[in-house]
Order: sequence, then structure tokens, then C-alpha cells
Amino acid sequence: MSKKIDLKEIERKAYTSYHQDGVIDVTIAFVVFVFNIMMLSDMPWLGGITGILAISFYAGAKKLLTVPRIGYVKFPQQRAQRITTVTVVLGVLAFVAGIFAFMQTTSQGTPAWLQLLIENYMLTIGTAGATLFLLGGYAFKTKRVYAYALLTLAMFVAGHFIIFPLYYYLTVLGTLILLIGLIMMIRFVRKYPKTTETAEE
Amino acid sequence: MDPNKTNDDELNAIQNIDKIIHEPARLLLMAHLFVIESADFLFLQHQTGLTWGNISSHLRKLENAGYVAVEKQFIDKKPHTTLKLTDKGRRAFKEYRKNMKQVFEDLPE
Repeated sequence: MSKKIDLKEIERKAYTSYHQDGVIDVTIAFVVFVFNIMMLSDMPWLGGITGILAISFYAGAKKLLTVPRIGYVKFPQQRAQRITTVTVVLGVLAFVAGIFAFMQTTSQGTPAWLQLLIENYMLTIGTAGATLFLLGGYAFKTKRVYAYALLTLAMFVAGHFIIFPLYYYLTVLGTLILLIGLIMMIRFVRKYPKTTETAEE
Repeated sequence: MDPNKTNDDELNAIQNIDKIIHEPARLLLMAHLFVIESADFLFLQHQTGLTWGNISSHLRKLENAGYVAVEKQFIDKKPHTTLKLTDKGRRAFKEYRKNMKQVFEDLPE
């Protein structure tokens, strides 16, 4: 063979081609939109079902769109462990922060640090969103999610100084990510048309 | 250093190269299956650029050698075949890499 076989490159190519379908991006945009509706309509219970809906959408889209076109692949356990670790860390952090804030609020009224976070809510939401994207990028090993982290931080830092309603920023952010996801999805569908061949040899 | 001994080592390393894996298409399939846990024909076809028939015939040889396990199951009432390297296949691929490195490291400039 004239070309060198690079196992790391083969693994990277296999993994990225499986995630070039835009499903992650559309799922993220969906979460941003639901968060936006939650903030606008004051329906905090939406937050609870967002995760379930997002996971169902992601799994369904992979099954209906990706696998029939690119085929089925299972990656080694290390990758799945990475996603599980990030989810657990996020869950524990959110839980501890929530309990801490609740206990301080009930015993001493709103503490100064919480007041500061609420007053600078654009910076708070921007930092939290960017952190989530960073962890998501790490978990899925997808570089463009890191770019979403930067975009989120830049938009919300700007939003701290340029006063527009929060939903405006969330709508722009969600729309941008959705557009990127849809473009990737269209490219993916064109590149990998559905095949009629079966694996029964 | 005994030059005959060096020649013997090189000869041994070359003779130890697994001929089943050494065929380019099979090497490509083994390399892909080595970095993932399992995959189906379609995924391997896209990743390797080999034809359906080519993959099928080479996988049969790898399966006969005990390097690849073929698992047939029904998903949504449709037949689905997944392929994975067996432990023997993983060991053989690692050994192949080691032998190939040795062969080229031992070659004179």
C-alpha cells in the first residue's frame, strides 16, 4: 500500500463522519429554543422534559437519518464513558449549586453572590451556556461545539452592554446553530443517499 | 555482531508477517475494525471505499481465520449483520503491526 495506515486518523475519520449529519447541532438548537420558551412563558417544568425530549430526538434522528445512510457503528467504551462522566459531573454540580443556593436563600434571604449573578444575568447565562457547550464539545469530541461555546460567550457578553431582551439573544443563537445543523444535514443526506443493498450476503 | 544472525532475524520477522492480514483490502478492513467496537457492511463500505462484494469476500476470509465475528440479528424486523474483531483478531493485528515495524526498522539505509 502506498499510503501509510494511521489508526488515529482512521478512528477520527470514522467518528467525525458519523457526526457530520448535523443531528447534534439541531438538538442543541432545540434545547436553546425550549430554554427560550421556558424563560418567556415562565414554565420552569419545561426544563425537566427538555433533556428527555432532546435525547429522544437525538436517538430517533440517528436511527432514521444517519444509520440507514452511513451504516451502523459502535465506538469503543471510552467514548461512551466520556459522555457519561460529563453528564454525571454536570448533574452533581447543578444539584450541589441548587441546594447551596436554596439553603442560603431560605436561611439568610438572597445572598450577595446570588444577587450579583442575578443582576448580571446575561454574563451568568452566557458563562453557564458556554461551559455547557465546552463540556458537550469535550464529551462528543466535536470541535464545532467549542465554536458554539465561543459564540454564546461573545453574544451574551455583548448582551451585557447592549441592552436587548434575553429572548432576542437566545433566538439568534438558536437560529444560527439550527441553520448550521440543517446545512450539515442537507450535505450529509446528499453525500450519503439511502442504500437499498442489504447486509445479507 | 554476527551478520548471519541479523539476516536470520530479518528473515524471521518477514516470515512471521500474517499473510491473511497483509492483503491491502483486508488490512484496511482490519484497521477499521480495530479502532471501533463493531460496524455493519454499509459503514465499512463508506469508510474503506471498497465495494460490497469485495468487503464480503475479504470478510469471509477473515471470519474463516477467526479474526472477525459476524453477528446476524433482526432490527425492526430487518436482517442486520454486524462485524467485530475477535480477541484473536485483535491480537493478530497487534502482532502484525509489531512485525511490520520490526521489518522496516531492521532494513539497512
